[in-house]
Amino acid sequence: MTPQQPPVRIPPQIYTAVLTEKKQLNARYFFLHLELQMPNRITFTAGQHVSLSVPGIDQRKSYSITSTPEMNHAVELLVDIQPQGPGSQYISQVNIGEEVSFLAPLGRYHITQQDDPICEKEKALTFIATGSGIAPFKSMIIDQLRRVGDTRKIRLIWGVRHEDDLVLLEKFEELQLGFPNFEFHPVISQAQPEWNLCRGHVDDCLNVHGFIPESGYYICGNKEMVQQIADLLIQKGISEDIIHWEKYN
Amino acid sequence: MADTAKKSTKTVKKIEEKKPPGKYRVEVIAGKCIGAASCVAIAPKVFALDSKQIAYVISEDELDDTKLLAAQSCPTAAIVVIDTETGEQVWPK
Repeated sequence: MTPQQPPVRIPPQIYTAVLTEKKQLNARYFFLHLELQMPNRITFTAGQHVSLSVPGIDQRKSYSITSTPEMNHAVELLVDIQPQGPGSQYISQVNIGEEVSFLAPLGRYHITQQDDPICEKEKALTFIATGSGIAPFKSMIIDQLRRVGDTRKIRLIWGVRHEDDLVLLEKFEELQLGFPNFEFHPVISQAQPEWNLCRGHVDDCLNVHGFIPESGYYICGNKEMVQQIADLLIQKGISEDIIHWEKYN
Repeated sequence: MADTAKKSTKTVKKIEEKKPPGKYRVEVIAGKCIGAASCVAIAPKVFALDSKQIAYVISEDELDDTKLLAAQSCPTAAIVVIDTETGEQVWPK
């Protein structure tokens, strides 16, 4: 698996922002729109994350940016509050209009750029996420389709537990309609009987739809899943240098 | 005698130059590192990633506040900060 460098290396800095939109998408996920105050513009690469300061307890929590770099006046986050730690509690309680502080941009996770020799080997792109691991992929896929104009086949496999957890379903269905090279496969581990798409885990979905041999593979989610899928890909003969991952704690 | 004094002053100066600028020392718990590289972005003089994307310490030559911020920004709390004057663990608390 290949260590990556962001194509544009911007030194991280402290940002203050105001929470201008907050939506509880279901029992587990919150969407936050943070409008930047100081500095009021941000440059980042799709796939990077912020380190949010949790007031009062001197802690920081990392969240992937789910908005695209084109939105340079704000960052948007998709936060899973199920861990119920200090970060989850803060996100649950913070109100619209309140000021937040974060350090950004952080992280090296991004789609292999055209000037990277590895890009030649990635004739397609396969994204595999579980849970909130979808957050950076939303930014990366939209940026790749809309701004970069990538015409390679782009496949997204997103595994969640319940149908209700597919909080970005409409967004990806809309992308699928607008971009014929994009295909989306949600997979549910505890699906209702009426669910007629993939059931089980992301590896089951991969086995159903097949492994694209000349694809770059991007994996994001809990570290056990990431390791399991990376091992599976290697077993299937996928070269390690086109497997890229972001592990969540 | 004068030569010895001169040499000794030079030695002290050399040692002072090598001393880290602060009192904090950092350690990476490799088993907890997930290679997010926040530490490298914040304190590139202190941290690097190895070929397996695990962070390690390359130098202590950085300001205490920067080292602490790098540790606090680690998503898995894989960086321990020790105050070398008191021996206390500053981070994680």
